[in-house]
Amino acid sequence: MSEQVEKAFQKQVGIFQNPKASKKVKAKNLRWYKDVGLGFKTPKEAIEGHYIDKKCPWTGEVSIRGRILSGVVVSVKMKRTIIVRREYLHYVTKYNRYEKRHKNLAAHLSPAFVGVSPGDIVTVGQCRPLSKTVRFNVLKVQKRIQKGPKQFAKF
Amino acid sequence: MGISRDSRHKRSHTGAKRAQYRKKRKFELGRQPGNTKLGPKRIHEVRVRGGNRKFRALRLDSGNFSWGSESITKKTRIIAVVYNASNNELVRTNTLVKGAIIQIDATPFRQWFEAHYAQPLGRRKKKEGQAESEELSKKRSKHVQRKIDSRKEDAKVDPLLDDQFTTGRLYAIIRSRPGQVGRADGYILEGKELEFYVRKIKSKK
Repeated sequence: MSEQVEKAFQKQVGIFQNPKASKKVKAKNLRWYKDVGLGFKTPKEAIEGHYIDKKCPWTGEVSIRGRILSGVVVSVKMKRTIIVRREYLHYVTKYNRYEKRHKNLAAHLSPAFVGVSPGDIVTVGQCRPLSKTVRFNVLKVQKRIQKGPKQFAKF
Repeated sequence: MGISRDSRHKRSHTGAKRAQYRKKRKFELGRQPGNTKLGPKRIHEVRVRGGNRKFRALRLDSGNFSWGSESITKKTRIIAVVYNASNNELVRTNTLVKGAIIQIDATPFRQWFEAHYAQPLGRRKKKEGQAESEELSKKRSKHVQRKIDSRKEDAKVDPLLDDQFTTGRLYAIIRSRPGQVGRADGYILEGKELEFYVRKIKSKK
């Protein structure tokens, strides 16, 4: 219904949606989904939802392999992708001390995750390049705990 | 020409302009688009990386199309390109690409249906004195007749599809890549997809 916002018909490639009316197939919302492995739970919204996203790790055609990283969500302004900030300490030998550094990471956010906002902690898994800068896909979201002022969090 | 598919000419993720430190390589090459049109078959073979071949269809007039709900596939003539989600120019110039909505000739499917179910499909309201087609009134052996009777309930066709059969043209979508494999194959639109595209086409007109 409302997921057909593009100019082409959005559907999951590979599942046939038009068996004849006389046949007894009554499964409304024929949906294909998979388990991404590595112990990540597949969200309920992915199984029961109606969204179509070919880059979603559960209902799309990407596989998660390679690195699994985590970070803090910085911005959710893009369509179906977010920026994740990963902070780390870099050791400077001359001074025997550390300095703070960070790297931003663009990750694809499946519509299965609703209500992700800046500050949430997110686990992302590596997949094939989905766009010029996106090579990761969000696998798990943990809401940020309402604590005190912003603190440096090393992962 | 010199179409290349590298990303070294693009700015990096941070926005920095990347300096060019090497020439274009052959493994990064890109070729001119095929832009297959409708017409008598013309296919050029291209030698690609690894010694393999690609068949660049420059003109095609027919393809192998499936009728999903009946699970049959027939080779049919392509009549016209009717809708393209990416570019209206491709519709105007009748360019065959993957994902283009086209109209195909319905006769092979109608013939199969009438032979399989012995029921008329897409016939206009009977004019007085019009004889039934040879397919429908053919004399059949008892074995064949029994088979046909057992298929009777399955012979219902979606009304949207039935209308298309009366005009002799079905809406289908191309699912192969004519510029890569040299064929325009696909499936007939049915159900939700058909309604979606019919609405798009109507709102265009």
